[in-house]
Amino acid sequence: MTTGSDDLHVLLGAYVLGGLSDDDHRAFSEHLRTCTQCQAELGQVSGLPRLLDLAGPEGGPHLSTTATPGGAPPPLMTEPDDGRLTTLLTEVSRRRRKRRSWLSAVGAAAAVGIFAGGAWLGPSVFSTRAPTPPTTHVVAAAAPGSTVKVDVALVTRGWGTQLDIDCEDMPTDGEVLLWVIGRDGKESTAASWRATPSGYSRVTGATALRPNEIQSLEVRTGSGRVLASART
Amino acid sequence: MPLDEEAVAEIYREHGPMLRRVVWRATSDANRVEDIVQEVILRVWKQAPEADNLRAYLITTARHLIVDQHRAAGRRPQEARLVDVAETDSALDRALDQVLVEEALGRLQTNHRDVLRCLYFERLSVAEASDRLGVPEGTVKSRAYYAVRNLRVILDEMGVTR
Repeated sequence: MTTGSDDLHVLLGAYVLGGLSDDDHRAFSEHLRTCTQCQAELGQVSGLPRLLDLAGPEGGPHLSTTATPGGAPPPLMTEPDDGRLTTLLTEVSRRRRKRRSWLSAVGAAAAVGIFAGGAWLGPSVFSTRAPTPPTTHVVAAAAPGSTVKVDVALVTRGWGTQLDIDCEDMPTDGEVLLWVIGRDGKESTAASWRATPSGYSRVTGATALRPNEIQSLEVRTGSGRVLASART
Repeated sequence: MPLDEEAVAEIYREHGPMLRRVVWRATSDANRVEDIVQEVILRVWKQAPEADNLRAYLITTARHLIVDQHRAAGRRPQEARLVDVAETDSALDRALDQVLVEEALGRLQTNHRDVLRCLYFERLSVAEASDRLGVPEGTVKSRAYYAVRNLRVILDEMGVTR
């Protein structure tokens, strides 16, 4: 089967999500080399798998075929309720009056009143279904004198660990490297790339170490200066 | 701004349910959900009632409110450890992203969502998904294409831009 160019174009979806046959995969990869439109579209959607992984192995309550106890919001959360709306509107007119009379001093006061509570944001946030996620994120702390922002996702793979690196506010020229330091103290580079004028880059590196064998990660310049580091 | 009440009521009706789901799942505290949702809507109404992308604005505002509150809670003496605050901030960000991604999946058309579940979450091949869903392979491919495109659009609208 196959293949006008339109047929090939549509393979982008399954190319990103996975599931193409070897033949289709080859055909689309070939097509991608020359089709600038597909290249552009791929650029827009290639980050989706990483986001989908956040939804957990089953994609969350909307995708689960089985009901997830406690996973769905209680019924009262789903419909707007006139009583609440009235409260809200009362608050609106109250604030509007306040705004008229004070002009510039409108602001946080009312909010503080509403949110004066204590540690209401319990550990529940962090326990929302986390059965050994294959991906761990670490945020690397900028070294003194450096303002870089680095976020590394460690993805467990059969061959080791894939390192998806997001960098912002980086140096704008020169070479940058990601170093992996193992628990045994051995250091190795897992990626090297050229700085971009925007100071932003997103690259993927690889190491044979498994995530639990990695002690720390360091982003360094070509001359060895540490820009950011993270312990895993 | 003569029609404040109307504007706020409209925001509330249109975006209230989504905001409540997001806030509820991020905080798991039913007592606070309505307070947060109302505060978010009031802030957005006050700052930018006609923002181009209202949904993204609302969600971003909710995110800031939740994070601020969480930080405030974290600064209480018994748990005042800076490192923890930084770590929980990013964990919280991720938890919120997770909720938003799941919310976005819920907004996909059903047949697009089914294809996405088969191909991505169940790791089926196009041929297997075609069997499972009882539609031709060509349909699986084109649904996968639109699922991916639409999901990107929905996430953009929610302010999830990475």
